[in-house]
Amino acid sequence: MAKKIKGPQLIIANRLDDGRVVFMTPDGNWTADVARAAVADTPEGVEELEAKASISEKNNLVVDPQAVPAEDQNGAFPAHMKQAMQAKGPSVRPDLGYQVSHTWETNASEGN
Amino acid sequence: MYAYDTFDRNIIDARVAEFRDQVERRMKGELTEEEFRPLRLMNGLYLQLHAYMLRVAVPYGTMSSKQMHRLADIATKYDKGYGHFTTRQNIQYNWPKLVETPDILTELAEVEMHAHQTSGNCIRNTTTDQFAGATRDEVEDPRPYAELIRQWSTFHPEFSFLPRKFKIAITGAGQDRAAVKWHDIGLILRKNDAGETGFEVIVGGGMGRTPVIGKTIREFLPEADLLSYLEAILRVYNEQGRRDNKYKARIKILVEALGAEEYARLTEAEWQKIKDQHIDVPAEEVARIKAFFTPPPLPVLSDDVPAVDEFANQNFIFKTWLDNNTNPHKVLGHVNVTISLKPHDGIPGDATDEQMHLVADLAEKYSQSEIRVSHEQNLILPHVAKQDLVEIWKILDANGLGSANVGLLTDMIVCPGMDYCALANARSIPIGQAIADRFDDIRRLQDIGPLKLKISGCINSCGHHHAGHIGILGVDRRGEENYQISLGGSGAEDATKAALLGPGFDEHGIVDAVEKVVAVYLGEREEGEEFLATYRRIGAAPFKEAVYDAD
Ligand code: HEM
Ligand code: SF4
Repeated sequence: MAKKIKGPQLIIANRLDDGRVVFMTPDGNWTADVARAAVADTPEGVEELEAKASISEKNNLVVDPQAVPAEDQNGAFPAHMKQAMQAKGPSVRPDLGYQVSHTWETNASEGN
Repeated sequence: MYAYDTFDRNIIDARVAEFRDQVERRMKGELTEEEFRPLRLMNGLYLQLHAYMLRVAVPYGTMSSKQMHRLADIATKYDKGYGHFTTRQNIQYNWPKLVETPDILTELAEVEMHAHQTSGNCIRNTTTDQFAGATRDEVEDPRPYAELIRQWSTFHPEFSFLPRKFKIAITGAGQDRAAVKWHDIGLILRKNDAGETGFEVIVGGGMGRTPVIGKTIREFLPEADLLSYLEAILRVYNEQGRRDNKYKARIKILVEALGAEEYARLTEAEWQKIKDQHIDVPAEEVARIKAFFTPPPLPVLSDDVPAVDEFANQNFIFKTWLDNNTNPHKVLGHVNVTISLKPHDGIPGDATDEQMHLVADLAEKYSQSEIRVSHEQNLILPHVAKQDLVEIWKILDANGLGSANVGLLTDMIVCPGMDYCALANARSIPIGQAIADRFDDIRRLQDIGPLKLKISGCINSCGHHHAGHIGILGVDRRGEENYQISLGGSGAEDATKAALLGPGFDEHGIVDAVEKVVAVYLGEREEGEEFLATYRRIGAAPFKEAVYDAD
């Protein structure tokens, strides 16, 4: 995953078992709620996140984790179009993507 | 309809069991993603933008009510209540879980369906005319040959790892509804002077970043030699096709490099070596397969059904639907009904589980329990008695499936684009929807007449934009979605490549550009002339002027 780091980054991946888009949280877990994603501002910070991500990859939790540019939109959000789409779900089905279900996802992972 | 024998059954059951084991090993970490990826692709499973995507084959576009009900059930149980019908007579599910995919494949296998040959560098499932075996303008039903090709190519050991994916299309009709000249191999059923059946063989067509129209390498191949000849074509490709560069690996590049004549010569030479090796199946086997495609026993009825005409006279929408959405059937008094999956505000090609059940029910009642999928992302009820049309239309219309726009501007092919696809550069669906919104009036559409608009979200051209009378290609311009317009393409028997008109537009500009193109056509057309004919007559200049110089 080594590459030139420009600006803040977050880690995006697909979960292995169901394929859903997830983001790495500061404690090295994964969430479908992009607002809870860890953001690293320095190359060292990004490397640290990447190291954690590659452990998750080796443990067969996620597929293809990548550090991608992030920006602040009342919380972390991917800066580029493709990952923004991944964070939101299909723009043509607002009844489906994470707009709707990440609330459920977040709650579920928090045990309520 | 083709029914599996024990051999077919065993093959697909074994394959599902094998994949179940592979998924378990992947979950346990016994297989890495790198090892697993080609295995899941062989079973139609991709990893896309939001989730896994499962692509299920509808071989030669024909399925039964029972199979359609099963597709609907899978959408309900394992997905989010819908599926997407594609240009390759497949259905794609956008949200299956990896761990449930073996169960989905098991449920598909129970109704003789599978996801083989829907991805990977193999011979993909053969596509054909959606009206095959039912249309009036046909030499012969192409589906038995498509089934033969399926049996020959499924898991063909020599052709499981080709330089690149390989697509074959076949048509038996005078009007090409299968875009055969845009395929790696295109086959057209023909009769020779002696009245024998054979094929015109076309090779080296394809879209993507290098669009090429296939070239005829044999005017007439006797029916009995089909498989050995295909084997010879593929051998030449498998041996000489480029493997060093993914973008130059398709057969079209090899055919361009060698020239079609040389390709034909190499094929003939290879064929002489293998044609007596019993690759071709004996006539009895061909007859056995053909027997599955015997036309249903339909009563010959009158083509004049006054009750239908009367209703059409009172109801403009029904009349338009009748004009656009029905195709003459072989048997008098019958038609093939196209159900438009391009409703207003819809997503081209999407069908909900409820709609799939409804279509399956209609097929049980009105079309011999048979359903077709077209490469233009619509569903078809073949073998419908004309006298049932009013009733069918009323049911469709009440359920949001009554769009009368088949063949018109809003009956567009649209790829998933960046709303779903990991390879996309721009969204396609919202552009399609915005254009459909602008051209919402069916009277205006009907006045514009036949016009094929096709949209792709990247150069891979899944939306066939190269073959669009109006083609739209989404590109990424410094992080912004940008849309290029091209004109004059055709996917029919007069296949042509659309030509780029000029610089691209943003998402609003592209809708205006389409509107301006249509306005030029309306101003310039001669009596009875369709869009493509006008474009071919007057050329790109007037369109360019209107689109780029107007303000
Ligand atoms: C969303 C998942 C999809 C992915 C990842 C995908 C991928 C690709 C790629 C990589 C190519 C270029 C192949 C080449 O030139 O070698 C391609 C071509 C094509 N795809 Fe897709 N596709 C997807 C969905 C679809 C859909 C939904 C359709 C139909 C609506 C479709 C139909 C086609 C067709 C007709 C071509 C043109 C083949 C040719 O002649 O070159 N694909 N696709
Ligand atoms: S044309 Fe591009 S964006 Fe559209 S489905 Fe194909 S690969 Fe994806």
